Amino acid sequence: MGKETIQLTVNGETREIIVEPNALLINVLRDELGLTGTKYGCGIGQCGSCTVLVNGEPVLSCLILAVAVNGANILTIEGLAKPDGYLDPVQEAFLDHGAIQCGFCTPGMVLMARDLLNKNPAPSESEIREHIKGNLCRCTGYLSIVRAIKSCAQKRG
Amino acid sequence: MAVNTRILPQGLECLFPKTIHEAVQMLTQYGPDAKVVAGGTDLLVRVKQGLISPAYLILIMKIPELINITKDECLRIGAATRLCEVLNFCAADEKYAAMSEALHSLGKVQIRNIATIGGNLCNASPAADSAPPLLVFDCRVKLYSMQGERILNLEKFFKGVNVTTMASNEIMTEIQIPSIQNGMGSAFTKITRVSADISKISCAVAVERRGDLCASCRIAMGAVASIPMRVRAAERIVTGKKVDVSLVEKLGQKVSEEINPITDVRSTAEYRRKVTPVLFKDVFWRAWQRAGGKA
Repeated sequence: MGKETIQLTVNGETREIIVEPNALLINVLRDELGLTGTKYGCGIGQCGSCTVLVNGEPVLSCLILAVAVNGANILTIEGLAKPDGYLDPVQEAFLDHGAIQCGFCTPGMVLMARDLLNKNPAPSESEIREHIKGNLCRCTGYLSIVRAIKSCAQKRG
Repeated sequence: MAVNTRILPQGLECLFPKTIHEAVQMLTQYGPDAKVVAGGTDLLVRVKQGLISPAYLILIMKIPELINITKDECLRIGAATRLCEVLNFCAADEKYAAMSEALHSLGKVQIRNIATIGGNLCNASPAADSAPPLLVFDCRVKLYSMQGERILNLEKFFKGVNVTTMASNEIMTEIQIPSIQNGMGSAFTKITRVSADISKISCAVAVERRGDLCASCRIAMGAVASIPMRVRAAERIVTGKKVDVSLVEKLGQKVSEEINPITDVRSTAEYRRKVTPVLFKDVFWRAWQRAGGKA
């Protein structure tokens, strides 16, 4: 099976990558590009830990063929903090509210929270829970995560 | 043998047709070794689990003719249109309430940004959430092959679990929703184990009313038979009749008799039979309120 050359802009940097046709985006990000913030949790679209933004929209990288996103703009958790190193307000809020225990669900949760606040700056608790319902957390029971995201909503007010 | 869902276990070749015609040519050429992929959120899971092993994937998610939503004498949706786009469209028009409720509850945000409406139908899960509302709206699907195209009523499309009446050399190109009368009220609800989950039971109802009389009623259930199904036996009971609490009770019992549920990982046949009338009543009354102009 012939390899393909694809172009991906990942966290602002455009590069050419040679991939097998059966390569999944999650493995290209983690193994080829060394961006291991995106996690493999279930591989079948249920846990949300592989969430990344493709062309600004959150998707599950474990179910995306790399060749299908040739030319796309990808944001992983590593690309969320500002270039000068300051954290995104969502990241600060997660730290402030103890919304990180083992940290495995965190990259997906933070990206979904960022996506929600971009679209709806002052979400209600039920809107928050609805938006992150595809991201499973085995540690926190979600309370601290919801509080963290709600606190961002209130700040923007 | 343990399944490794981290990767697609076998080598395969990806084909990128630029038009529908190219896609069906490839499908005809490679036959049973090929699978058509749009969003891939169902298909790639089945490949990972080793349930299917295609040697060729025909990727249609970027063919422009398959991605569009247009309204003329009916609502036409390209089969590779993403669910998030269909949801946005339907949510803006309360005539499509059952459809927007179904799509909003389908999966989660990340899935709807990739998955397509054609894929949801062609995967033909009995629990497909877009099916019950499309069935109550009398949806038709357009299928295309090297021999040309045909239009099929959605009711005749589903055949069994993950099985459709689509020929192996056909691709779904369009979903058509006939024009919906003003004054039709519709609703959809699904029951799940956890909040982002495949349905245990789902129900869609579309009704037209004249005062207290039911002018027309369509009922569809998902996840309670081998295919998403219309419940015409119940529809016949209520059409033309005065709607009151006891009639709707009777309808719920009839729906429960007509379904053919099994016990699986998500629910038991007994639960599905017992809860169906309760779910149906909720959905019916909501559709009825909407038909009366009270959202």
